[in-house]
Amino acid sequence: MKRHGVVVYLKSSFIFTVFISAMLILGGSPSWAAPKGSPWNEDYFPNVKLTDQDGKSFRFYDDLIKDKVVAINFIYTHCGDTCPAETASLRQVQRLLGDRVGKDIFFYSISIDPEHDTPKVLKEYADKFRINSGWLFLTGSKEDTTLIRKKLGLYRDGVEANKLSEHSTSFMIGNERTGQWMKRSPFDEPKTLAWLMGYSLSNIKPSRKPNQVNYSEAKQLPNMTKGEDLYRFRCASCHSLGKEDGLGPGLQGVAKVREKAWLRRWIKEPDKLLAEKDPIAIDLYNRYNKILMPNLRLNDADVEALIDYIEANGNPAQ
Amino acid sequence: MYIMNHFSATDSAKIKRRDKTSKLRTLSYNPLKLSSLTIAIAALSGFFVSSSPVQAKFNIPTDSTASPLCISGQPRCAAPFTAKMLMFEEFGTQAMPNESNVATLTSGMPGVADCQSTPVGTALDTFLNEPIHPFPTRKANDILPNAWADKIKKDCGLLPTNLSGVLEGRPGGEQFAHQRWDEFMPQAYFQSAMTGARINGGLRDKYQRHGYSIGEFGPGGLYHLDNNSTKGTEVKIHPNLPAQDPHSVWTFDGTLPPKLLMARYGEAVLFRHYNALPIDVSANNGFGTHTISTHEHNGHDGAENDGYAHAYFYPGQFYDYHWPMILAGHDSINKGATDLRTGAPDGYGGITPVPGDWRETMSTHWFHDHMLDFTAQNVYKGNAAMMNYYSAVDRGREPKDMNEASGNSSVGYGCHYANPNNANLCFPSGSGMDWGNRDYDVNLLVADKAWDNSGQLKFNIFNTDGFLGDRITVNWEYKPYLDVRTRRYRFRILNGSVSRYYKIAIVDESGNKIPYHMIANDGNIMQYAVPFPNAASAEGALPEQGIAERYDIVVDFKNFTGKKLYFVNLLEHENGLGPKRVVPLVDVLSGKYKADGINGDPVVGKFLEFRVKGCGSKGTDACTDLSMNPADYVEGNKGDKQMIPVNRPTTQELQAAVNRTFEFGRSNGTDAKPWAIKTDGGIGLNMDPHRLSAAPTLPDAPDGLGKVEIWHIKLGGGGWSHPVHVHFEEGQILYRGGKTPTPWEKYARKDVYRIGPLADSTSSVDMAIRFREFAGTYMEHCHNTQHEDKTMLLRWDIQHPGETIAVPTPMPEWDGVTYDVSTTLPTYKIGDLKAKAAFVLPK
Repeated sequence: MKRHGVVVYLKSSFIFTVFISAMLILGGSPSWAAPKGSPWNEDYFPNVKLTDQDGKSFRFYDDLIKDKVVAINFIYTHCGDTCPAETASLRQVQRLLGDRVGKDIFFYSISIDPEHDTPKVLKEYADKFRINSGWLFLTGSKEDTTLIRKKLGLYRDGVEANKLSEHSTSFMIGNERTGQWMKRSPFDEPKTLAWLMGYSLSNIKPSRKPNQVNYSEAKQLPNMTKGEDLYRFRCASCHSLGKEDGLGPGLQGVAKVREKAWLRRWIKEPDKLLAEKDPIAIDLYNRYNKILMPNLRLNDADVEALIDYIEANGNPAQ
Repeated sequence: MYIMNHFSATDSAKIKRRDKTSKLRTLSYNPLKLSSLTIAIAALSGFFVSSSPVQAKFNIPTDSTASPLCISGQPRCAAPFTAKMLMFEEFGTQAMPNESNVATLTSGMPGVADCQSTPVGTALDTFLNEPIHPFPTRKANDILPNAWADKIKKDCGLLPTNLSGVLEGRPGGEQFAHQRWDEFMPQAYFQSAMTGARINGGLRDKYQRHGYSIGEFGPGGLYHLDNNSTKGTEVKIHPNLPAQDPHSVWTFDGTLPPKLLMARYGEAVLFRHYNALPIDVSANNGFGTHTISTHEHNGHDGAENDGYAHAYFYPGQFYDYHWPMILAGHDSINKGATDLRTGAPDGYGGITPVPGDWRETMSTHWFHDHMLDFTAQNVYKGNAAMMNYYSAVDRGREPKDMNEASGNSSVGYGCHYANPNNANLCFPSGSGMDWGNRDYDVNLLVADKAWDNSGQLKFNIFNTDGFLGDRITVNWEYKPYLDVRTRRYRFRILNGSVSRYYKIAIVDESGNKIPYHMIANDGNIMQYAVPFPNAASAEGALPEQGIAERYDIVVDFKNFTGKKLYFVNLLEHENGLGPKRVVPLVDVLSGKYKADGINGDPVVGKFLEFRVKGCGSKGTDACTDLSMNPADYVEGNKGDKQMIPVNRPTTQELQAAVNRTFEFGRSNGTDAKPWAIKTDGGIGLNMDPHRLSAAPTLPDAPDGLGKVEIWHIKLGGGGWSHPVHVHFEEGQILYRGGKTPTPWEKYARKDVYRIGPLADSTSSVDMAIRFREFAGTYMEHCHNTQHEDKTMLLRWDIQHPGETIAVPTPMPEWDGVTYDVSTTLPTYKIGDLKAKAAFVLPK
C-alpha cells in the first residue's frame, strides 16, 4: 500500500525548470461545511476596501480571503532592496503552484505606502516583475492597511509605525476556511512554501500519487559551497546560471564579460553604482524592466565565494 | 486590557453579533471614540488589536481581553487557592504481550460520527484497554489502512476512493525504522490517544502503581481519591469554571489529571500514540492543528523516535515511539554493567545493572508535541505529559528505617548518605513501594493560560512575538492548593508555558523566605545541591526558569505545622518577547506591585498554596523523615559528598572539538526583519525541514566515547529572550556570558540554554556536548514555542562516520509519507573554524 521513495531532487528547480509535484495539482475539495467557532472569521478580519493595480475594488474579507488559500505580504514599490527580492522569491512560489494560483490559491501584495503606490504605480510594478494572474497588488487607506497588518500579526506598535524600511518582511500564508495561518519568510525554499500552500494548507485530497524513486537512487548530498548556498538563497530567484534571462540576466559567462573589480562592486553595492550613474549599471537597470538589483549586504568574502561559484557553474549545461 | 472585568458575559451575549464587525473596525482606529458598548463587542469576539494612542504597557493576555474568573452559569467565581491541585495520573506501562497472543485481535480505533468529532469516550477506553495490536514492527506498519479510512474518504473527502491511507504515520522504510530494535526490544508499553477533552472514565485506575492503597495515595492519605478512581474528573481549569470543549483542549486520553510516564532504565518502552483528533483541521476552536509529532524531551533515543517536526502523523493513524531507556555512554562506558550505580530498581529491593555511564543518569523529563509551525498551539492546548526516569541513584524510594538506610537489608534501599557505597540518593519520595513512590515527590506543571468569556481556552495565533496568558495554572488548575506533611518534599517543577518565564520564590504567610535546595537542573541530578536563598540569586528565588526547563527542588515543611506556604512568581513580562524584570518580593507581597493587568503583570504573585499538616491520625504528630538531607550535599560539605558528579570532557577532547556557532536574532541580507538562526557565521535562516545545518559524527569505533563538540549559543541582540533547546544529549556549560557559570549550572547537565538580557540568562552560552549511540535527524530551537514555530528552529543530523547521503526528508500526507532529498549548509561538517580558533578553553 505504501511506498518509501524519494521524490527526485531537481537541482534546477531553483531556476525556472520548475519541479511541480502532483500534490500541487488541485484534487477534490472536502465536502463539509465551513467551521463554526473559529475566531478567525469575518468578525476578526476587517472587511476594508482595497483597490488593485487595475483599479478594481475589493473587500478584504469578502472578496479576497474568504474561503481561500492566500499568501499576503506587505510591500512598497520604491523600496530598494527588500521588496524586489521578496517579490522575486514569491514569484517562484507562484510558478511552482502553476494554474492553481487564481483558482483556489491567491497572492496579495498590499502596499504600506498608499500615498505613493496608486493603482497605476502598482500596475507598473507588477508588469515589471511580469506577474501572472491570481496575484493582486493592492492599495487602500493607511488606516485600513495598518489594521490588516495588525490583524495578521505583521505590525508592531512603536517599531514599524514611522519607517517604511523597518516594515516586517515576513508574510502570512493561510486558509481562511480552516482558520489555519502560518508566518513565513520570503526566503524560505520556494519548494517548501509551494508544498505548504498547495497541499498542507489546502486541505485537499491528492488527485494522483506523486512520482517516486527508491532511496537507493537518491543522489549523494550536494556538498554545498558557500557560493552555492548564497546563490540559492539570494540570487536564484532572479538569475539563472545559464543564458536564460529571469527577472535579471542569465549569469553564464558574466565573470568573463565584466571586469572583476566592477562585478565585485555591482554584487556588493549595486545601489551605489546606480547612484553614481555607472553606465553599465544604468544600462542593465533599463534593460531589465527597471527592477533594482538589491543590495544584499554581502561582505567581501561572500562576494568572492559567489563569483567563484558563478564562474565554475555558469555554463550551458546548467 | 482588563476592560471586561466589570462587564458580565450575559450582558455581552445580548448584543447582536452581526453588528460588531463594522463597529469594531471603525472604532478600533478611532480609539478616542470607544464606548463601553463597542469595547464589549470587541471583547465578545475574544480578540482585538489594541490601537489605543498610548499603547497598553501590559499586553496580557496577548492581543486579547482578560480571562474572566466569574462565568455566567457557574455557581461561584474561581478564587485563588480554592481548587485542590491535581496529582499527575500515571499512564501505567504493561509488559509486552507475545506476538502470537495478539495476532487474532482485529479491532481498530473507534470511529467518529463526523469529520469534526472525536471518538466516544467509553469506546475509546475499551479499545485502549485491549492489548496492543497490531504487534509493533521495526519499520512503520504502513501495510494496514488508516483506522478511519472510510470516513476520511467518503464524508471528509481527504483521500481519493482508491487509496486508504496507512495505519502507522511513521515515515516508512529503513530511514525511520527503529534503530537497535532487536537489541532494545520493548519490554513495556503503553498506549494513549491524543483526543478532545472528555470526562475521565477511570481508564488508568488499575495502572496506578500505588493502587490508591499505599502511602499518601491510600485510604486516609493526602492524595487518596474516593472510589480509588479518577473517574468523573472533568477537564476544568477550576471547579467553578466550565468543562473544556473537545475542540478547546486536546490531550492524552482527552482527560485530566495530566499524565505521567514512570519508566526504569534498562526497560525499553514502546509508546503507541494514536491520533484521535478531528479529521477536519478547522474543528479546533481557533488554535492547534490535528497533525502531531511527539518529542520526548530530552530522551537518549533514536532520531525516528525524537518527534522530528516533519515526521508528523494524521488523525486515524498511530505512531510507535520506541524509547530504549539506555544511558548515554552505553556503548563505551561500563559495558559489562558491573557498576551498581548504573542500574534500575528490580522491584524487589535489588538493582538490575545496566551498561552505560551512571553520571548520565536522567530524572525529570516531559514529552510534548513538536509539530512544524504548530508546536506552541498544540502544547498549549494540552499535548504535554511528564516522564520520570527511575534508576539506582534516583529510585523514588526512601528507607523505612535506619537499618534499610544502611543498606543492610536490601542493596537498592541503602542510602548514599548512610554509606557512600550505596547508590540510592534517597530523595524524598515514600517507602510503600519498591520504586516510584510519589507520596513526597510531586510533579508540578506550571503554565499560563487564557480563556474567553464562556471559559473556553483561547490563543492568539497571529502574534508571533510570543503568547502570554493572564492566568497561572499548576497541573491545569488555576492557583490551586496542595496539602503536605511536615517533612521534606521533592518538587519537579516544569515550565510548560508557551512564552512565559518564571522566577519562583517560596515564602510563609508572613512573607519570610523559606530555605530550600535545588537538586536537579533540566531533570539531571547535580553534583552538589544548591541552597536557596543564596547570594547569587536575586530575591532568594530560584533562577529564571525558561520554557521547558525543569528544576527539582527539596523543601522541608518540618517547622510549619498548621501553616501555609506559597510559591510566588516574581518575573514580570509586558509581552511575549521575554521577561522584563524581577519584581522585588517585598513589593509583590505588600501589594505595592499591582498585578492587575494594567499596572502590572497578572501572573506575578502567589500561585500555589501549601497547607502543612503533621503526621499521625490527627495530623498533628511529627513525621518520620529518612530522606536525604540536601544540606549534606552542598559544595564544600565535610567529606565532599556528591550526588552525581559531572563527567567533564578532557582538555584534549575540547581541543579536538568541532566548534559550532548558533546565533539567535535578526537575519541579515535584505531581510532585516525576520527572526532567524545564523549557523557558523552564515546567513540567517528559518526552518526548512530539508536543510541540515549541522551534522556531528558518531564515534569512529563502535565503542568510542563519542566526539565532544563545543556549541556557542549567542543572542543576536534586540532585547529578546530565547530558551534554546538542543535535542538528544545534555551539554555542560563551559561559560555563561563569557564567565564561569553559577553553581546551579556549573554542576549541572543542561538541555535548555537560556540567552537573554536578564541577569540569569546573559547573551551567550558556550557548552560541550557528545553524540553517541544513535543517528538520524534531530533539532535545535528556541523553546519560546512561538519563536520556534515561526523561525527559530533548525535541523541537525547525527551521521555515521563516512556517511555522505543524509536521511531524506519525510513529507507526511494523508496517504502516508514520501521523502524528499535533504540539503545542507556549507559548514554542516566543519562547523565554525573561526570560533574554534578564537575560543579559549576554561581552566
